Amino acid sequence: MPDSALAGTRVVDLSQGIAGPYCARLLADLGAEVIKVEPPEGDYARRLGPFPNDVPHHDRGGLFLHLNANKKSVTLDLETTSGRVVLRKLLANADVLIESETPGLMASRELGFEQLNDEFPQLVYCSVTPFGQTGPYASFKGNSLAAMALSGLMYITGDPGKEPLCTGGEPAEYFGALHAWVAILAALEHRAKTGAGQNIDVSMLEALGCADEYNTTMYAYLGAIRKRFYSRHAIPTYPSEIFPCRDGSIVVIGGATGFPLMMAILIEQPEQEGNPLFQNLWLRFMQWEKFEEILRPYLAEHDWEDLLTRAQELRIPFAAVLDAKTLLENEHLRERGFFEEVEHPELGKVPLAAHPFKMSETPLRVGRSPLLGEETHEVLAEVGYEAEDQLVLRERGVT
Amino acid sequence: MTLPLEGIRVLDLTQVYAGPTCTRILSDLGADVIKVEGLKRMDITRNFVMPENTGKDDYWNRSGYFLLRNGGKRSITLDFGDPEAVDLVKRLVPYADIVAESFTPRVMAKFGLDYESLKEIKPEIIMISLSGYGQTGSWRDFTAYGMGLEPASGISSVTGYRDGPPLRTGISFTDPYSGVVGAGAVLAALYYRRRTGKGQYIDLSEHESAIPVAGYAIMEYALTGRVPERAGNRSEWYAPQGVYRCRGAQTGGGLAEDNWIAITIRNDAEWEAFCHAAGHPEWENGRFGDVLGRFRYHDELDELITSWTRQQDHLEAMHLLQKAGVIAGAVLNPKEVLLDPHLRERGAFDMIDQPDVGVRPVARQLGAKFSAFEPGSARPAPKLGEHNREVLQGMLGLSDEELARLEEQKVIGDTPEGAVPLDVMRMFVQWPTATFQQMGTIAGLDADYREQLGIKGNGK
Repeated sequence: MPDSALAGTRVVDLSQGIAGPYCARLLADLGAEVIKVEPPEGDYARRLGPFPNDVPHHDRGGLFLHLNANKKSVTLDLETTSGRVVLRKLLANADVLIESETPGLMASRELGFEQLNDEFPQLVYCSVTPFGQTGPYASFKGNSLAAMALSGLMYITGDPGKEPLCTGGEPAEYFGALHAWVAILAALEHRAKTGAGQNIDVSMLEALGCADEYNTTMYAYLGAIRKRFYSRHAIPTYPSEIFPCRDGSIVVIGGATGFPLMMAILIEQPEQEGNPLFQNLWLRFMQWEKFEEILRPYLAEHDWEDLLTRAQELRIPFAAVLDAKTLLENEHLRERGFFEEVEHPELGKVPLAAHPFKMSETPLRVGRSPLLGEETHEVLAEVGYEAEDQLVLRERGVT
Repeated sequence: MTLPLEGIRVLDLTQVYAGPTCTRILSDLGADVIKVEGLKRMDITRNFVMPENTGKDDYWNRSGYFLLRNGGKRSITLDFGDPEAVDLVKRLVPYADIVAESFTPRVMAKFGLDYESLKEIKPEIIMISLSGYGQTGSWRDFTAYGMGLEPASGISSVTGYRDGPPLRTGISFTDPYSGVVGAGAVLAALYYRRRTGKGQYIDLSEHESAIPVAGYAIMEYALTGRVPERAGNRSEWYAPQGVYRCRGAQTGGGLAEDNWIAITIRNDAEWEAFCHAAGHPEWENGRFGDVLGRFRYHDELDELITSWTRQQDHLEAMHLLQKAGVIAGAVLNPKEVLLDPHLRERGAFDMIDQPDVGVRPVARQLGAKFSAFEPGSARPAPKLGEHNREVLQGMLGLSDEELARLEEQKVIGDTPEGAVPLDVMRMFVQWPTATFQQMGTIAGLDADYREQLGIKGNGK
């Protein structure tokens, strides 16, 4: 069996929802042992679906599987003193703790960084929240939509005459997850040098702020407030957007070398090479409606795969518009083994997005998500709880 | 204070957005990042966003876009078209721990700079390739732009107005996303090397790295056979949820009528809190009184909510609703983001004094605060070729004569050698902002923006 990058690292994941759990999943994929500590009723993401036949069940949620692959599940009521005693035993052997509670809640349970640091100086303690632990919005309630709104990314997404549009898939959660993951790995490097753990405060809003391409820069350098315009770039790269074609949609991008000649060849109208709209990118950008009068009828008569293949042969960077179905059927992704089938006791065989990147020496692990409390017995036994003790904890609702 | 990557050196052959995001994060964490550009192939983002929109002199050292992702790095110029330049890159490999590149897959092999070749020079080297579609598979040689990869990743299929076409985010979404994924992958490889002494190769497909964001949609198809439809700003789980029009305040040149607030109501208690905060306790009961009604009559509810938000200032409404315990976020425009008190207090922007530009607020590239160290992000971006001598002489020991000869042969230098003459480029990098405003891609132009940002007098 190949080695794993984080083999020997132990993570206690107290987080729920999307951001914290996906961060912990990335650590688990890299070989860390991730113990997911859930309240006895389970991470609320277990209730978010999608479920087979639309019948909710805490062990059959698709999103939960996506976010919690390769982890172990331990149920523990951290609102009780007894639950916290068990948690401290788990933390004695842990390298990383991840939590996503409202700021202040962990401290009220005597599980804040300051309260744990003396006893567990090795621990990297990472909080992932919508707006961070400090500042005027620290006590705000948040979700991906609110974070996207405040980040500025929504203002520049969508049609100019309509409401600003949030990107699908809860992107603030995933950006928050990535920044927390990078920060934890950086803190582990730091610990390897100094021996000390530390506290990390990740804000989904600020993670989105890092993603901003040049919008605040346009104000800071030009005084210009960029507005959403069919999700089009302010940078003169028109066209760079999604158009309808005969059997769906296609991303039309001119790229560095597409105009004027290659695009004219692609749409089988070589005479357009001399058209000022093809020659001059500023003109094309500003008189886009005229340009689209030429482009749209041609696209409407052709299929996306044909357009994509021919454009790429001409080295024009067209791209596909894939959805859940066409992603799972995509030949390129199949060749690369991006999706892997996992066997889940409740769901059967399920395709899992398994390889966000590939490492030659330490390939990412592929596994399923745990059933609620699946490893409670095993993990508690490891830290010294006999079967009788475990029964008491179970009967008192601690686990 | 010890930064985690002190003593780590990155040879950075990446350009534009994704790769430079990855290496900027490594640089902020303490790595010495040497960015390699060609005089004939400088980072194209050196052409984007000029201070005061001017293209004078060495404009390529003043770009705001470039500063954002290259602050703190060193810059050398070596053009891969020249065999001698390729040889110099190879001579730098022994001094590096990490080589990062973002060419299309065939390029590095063509120059003899693929992982197999680098490993012969330095067995423990860590190499990361950030490419559009990865190093294998039938799309590997596709030319890829970030603008195309978001739709290809499945995210656009769930982004768009109800009954409307798929839409892209207003940024090249997969670039900053995959850049952060790349930084994490490199850190994981360093962690492994610390334990085993072994390097490795990371094949990062920017396309694949972002597909997990579409995880819910993928699972929905896998478990139910349904392909999710676009839902605008509505939620799969909660109703009502939406982005509602607020009172049009004059916050800049011509910005009236474009203020909005995002609101999510998750349960009865939050609905009750919303109704009372909005001064409409009568909405609480009746057909909207339970979660079923709020899902079923979402359209009507949206009209009702808008009748209230329409009279409200978007920022005041956010505070009012949050105080009542309701999830609400004002939709901030880029100017409001820069002036936001929360982001300011949290230090989301560094004030960077860029030579020949002056002080500007620049967004951080790592959204995390550490108790044991402060990532070193408040540093200017390098001028093109600024560190040629320092690196090629200091590290490789090239003589003054050799450097002069390389400069003569335009292997190294400080002025780009593009196909387009520089005086034409100086015009091109100035954007027709008045026309943009007419078109509507720019909502406002503030002549006094430096006063507004509090940076007047610090710059040139």
